[in-house]
Amino acid sequence: MFSRITYAFRETWASFQRNLTLTAAAILTAAVALLLVGVTLLIQEGFSNLLAKWTGGVEMIVYVKPEYSTDQARIDALQQQLQSNAGVKKVTQLNQAESFEQAKRVLTGQASLLETLTVEKMPAQLRVVPEEGTAELLPLLKEQFDPRNNPTVWAVGLATDDIKVVAKISNFVRRFTIGASVVLLIVAVVLIWNTIRTAMFARRREIEVMKLVGATNWFIRVPFMLEGLLQGLIGSLLSCGGLALVNGLWNNSLGSFGSKDLLTNDLVALQVSGPFLRGVMIIILIVGALVGAIAAGIAASRFLDV
Amino acid sequence: MIKLENVSKVYNDEVVALRDASFDIPKGEFIFLVGASGSGKSTLLRLMNRQESPERGSVFVAGRNINEMPDSKVPFLRRNIGNIFQDYKLLPNKTVFENVAFALEVIGRPKHVIRQQVPAVLDLVGLAGKQDRFPHQLSGGEQQRVSIARAFVNRPLILLADEPTGNLDPSTGEGIMRLLDRINKTGTTVVMATHDQRIVNMMRRRVVQLDRGVIVRDQARGVYD
Repeated sequence: MFSRITYAFRETWASFQRNLTLTAAAILTAAVALLLVGVTLLIQEGFSNLLAKWTGGVEMIVYVKPEYSTDQARIDALQQQLQSNAGVKKVTQLNQAESFEQAKRVLTGQASLLETLTVEKMPAQLRVVPEEGTAELLPLLKEQFDPRNNPTVWAVGLATDDIKVVAKISNFVRRFTIGASVVLLIVAVVLIWNTIRTAMFARRREIEVMKLVGATNWFIRVPFMLEGLLQGLIGSLLSCGGLALVNGLWNNSLGSFGSKDLLTNDLVALQVSGPFLRGVMIIILIVGALVGAIAAGIAASRFLDV
Repeated sequence: MIKLENVSKVYNDEVVALRDASFDIPKGEFIFLVGASGSGKSTLLRLMNRQESPERGSVFVAGRNINEMPDSKVPFLRRNIGNIFQDYKLLPNKTVFENVAFALEVIGRPKHVIRQQVPAVLDLVGLAGKQDRFPHQLSGGEQQRVSIARAFVNRPLILLADEPTGNLDPSTGEGIMRLLDRINKTGTTVVMATHDQRIVNMMRRRVVQLDRGVIVRDQARGVYD
């Protein structure tokens, strides 16, 4: 058993060195493809964090001061006031606990801030859905419900034009990145497949002898499958490094623009949490290894009759 | 040991390589398959280790119908059959020792067995002391000896030899034949395809002659023609 394992690894390593250029091409393509898969997942998460606040046509949020946030009568009165404006279609309430849950998503990239948050410190929310075609109403409402004019209110947030644009392009970006990563993954599979085929062709005499002296097909196949698995795995490790780098740069640049008030600054929501990033990396490692091994396995079975 | 029953083999639906061939090879026999190029000698050998399957008829090896054997069992059949070729089929980047050891390695024999059996078989074929040479550093006869060592290192029941002296000068060929004869005397069945008239006449063993896929002669202690 031990001699078989050492044999498999020795052969894998030898083949790796023999086929260096093709192997490098396969690994790099796999890395780029998987990096794009990772970025797609991060973008998707970022967008859905960003848009979490603005679901269901909500375009304005009135935050109630935390000290009044358990005072249901006060909140109901404020809701009435908002509702009475022409052009307001619907106003819904979010209590402190629900607000807390939402904050966890929106502030997912701000771990230190999240730690300091408690349900009691959270504002209740009144979420305003305007009628269609009443764009000029919201700035007026914002002014009317500004904390300076209304003692119950802590802050008012508007869905900025930027956010509306982001909401619109998010679907496009998502589709584009998914499409591009699928295409690149297929290219990576084909390249790995081709590398293995070339490796097998280079060793056709050896394979012929192996078959004649009674090596099982699995024995012949395993080093090639290992080779493919290793290519996929190295590719995915590279892409994990790239992903960490991209994510770091992204977080740094996000911090440098937008308002410093984390509750109303929407852009911070484009960050993803550490656990999410690690999850994506694990997915990428698994996908990379599987893609490599399967592509190589198919090639190895297909070209065993050399 | 080997038995063919009404075996026919056709390539591409038109080229008849073998027609209705039947014969029996008892254990420990030395048999020559003779005939012109394309008469079906190599096809017969390839049927015996299931590199080919017949269109009709059955091939039995050690009492088992090998055409009904599942693919997964074929490697285990082949571990009992050694193969020797006209072009040796040695791996050029491996030494003599490694070429022979390769046959044991790929069927999962442990290292200590390899270290023990390879020098023994190299000694048997007369290559002691040359185990670290590469194939290109050896003469044709020596390369064929390596190939025989590789085929025999696992002590197979059967040795299939396809024109093993085809690339060798007469005296070297005779040396190879003496070696095969010694191996045969250990109880291994040897089936050898050849059109080396001199060697067949010298050995006086059983001769099966083929002509365009048909067995035209099966003679004990025969000559070439």
